[in-house]
Amino acid sequence: MHYTIHFNLVWKYIPYLLNGAILSFQIAILAFLGGMIIGLLGASFKIFGGRFLRGIIQAYVSFFMNTPQLVQIYFFFFALPQAGILLSPYQAVLVGMTLNAGAYLTEIQRAGFLSVRKSELEAAETLGMSLPQTVWYVIFPHICKVLFPSLSNHYIIMTLGTSMAAIFGVEELTGRAFNVNAVTFRSIEVFIVTAAIYFGITVLASVTLVLAGRWLFRVKGKVF
Amino acid sequence: MIESLWEEIPRFFTYYNWIFLLEAAVRTLVLTGVGCLIGFALGFYLAIVRVFRGKKYIPLKVVTIFFVEFFRRVPFLVTLMLVFFFCQGVQLNVSVFTVALITVCLISASYTAEIVRAGLESVHPAQWEAGEVMNFTLAQKLRLIVIPQAWKVILPPAFSFFIALIKDTALASQIGVIELTYVGKVFNNKGFTAVLAFGTVLIMYYIISYPLARFGAWMEKRFALSKH
Repeated sequence: MHYTIHFNLVWKYIPYLLNGAILSFQIAILAFLGGMIIGLLGASFKIFGGRFLRGIIQAYVSFFMNTPQLVQIYFFFFALPQAGILLSPYQAVLVGMTLNAGAYLTEIQRAGFLSVRKSELEAAETLGMSLPQTVWYVIFPHICKVLFPSLSNHYIIMTLGTSMAAIFGVEELTGRAFNVNAVTFRSIEVFIVTAAIYFGITVLASVTLVLAGRWLFRVKGKVF
Repeated sequence: MIESLWEEIPRFFTYYNWIFLLEAAVRTLVLTGVGCLIGFALGFYLAIVRVFRGKKYIPLKVVTIFFVEFFRRVPFLVTLMLVFFFCQGVQLNVSVFTVALITVCLISASYTAEIVRAGLESVHPAQWEAGEVMNFTLAQKLRLIVIPQAWKVILPPAFSFFIALIKDTALASQIGVIELTYVGKVFNNKGFTAVLAFGTVLIMYYIISYPLARFGAWMEKRFALSKH
């Protein structure tokens, strides 16, 4: 009960922390885009691929969904150098997060693909649409509308997940919070400010995504 | 690399290492299980607060919404550090396990509050109004009308959140809770190859999580069918 809260030491580090937040954002975006590509391939292979390909994708998804991201990154960071692949902390985190996101996004996108009903495709055929037309006017809008909420939700989860990079010494928001903590010793204040910045950037991301979803795909989303 | 791996395996899987590993696995499960149960109870009350009607409850509602949104939008690691340093700041003499447990409780309370709220909202408003007509109190409405219909919507996502939390508690190793991830770090520091140390930990997590995930998927399917 002898702790007095002093924010004045922490104020001047806020630009430093915000610069870290930009790196967090960068990691989240890159991992998300990488995961989207893996997920797109994975979902297509899982639906249209043969038995062998499906088995591989299934094993990948189930392994990455059932183990913690932190231990996966540990594995990439410490085990791959033994095989001669040297990764910097940033690269290890990016690879780990991308592969992890890939597994989750495979599942999400597969569910989206399967939500297209056969009757929709038949209706398109009845109207005499060609395959590109069917994809562009029927399948694509449908999938976007179904997928958008879960994808934006996963993006928010990934933004929070980037805090793990701090453990490997990447100087993103949490990493910089550890640095500021080491310099000022105002632990509680530093982490309150960090938490507030995370709150701010995720609310910003949610609002942007909800507005984008309404404007582009007519998804009715809520921020809170 | 492969040769050294083979050499290390008999040294790695000794009796005491197994005990260490299994104890840590139990600790991970206890941390998640107890934290999730307390969190679920807390989250349930938080969700019910949002059903309250009337102007005098508005401050309470605002606080609840802020609590829920805050812990949903702050990473596990930062919450952990906040709780850790807060306990240190007020000179609360608690173990690191308790610190991790408090963190898990806070986070699972806020997530389950949203899950329960979605469940309560899934019950048709007419059902609530019917309860009103019968002059039920809020407790009676919840107990007799809403929860019997809502729990099927609540349980599958709550269970999958519990499974996700098993994996999130890996971060508790950062403050020194001796759970599975920490054990992996200890083995790695003892000189075993990282492939062996972290590979074993990954497999342990998989063994814990995979059956639970299958059970969750089964539950989801079953409840979805029996709704009609």
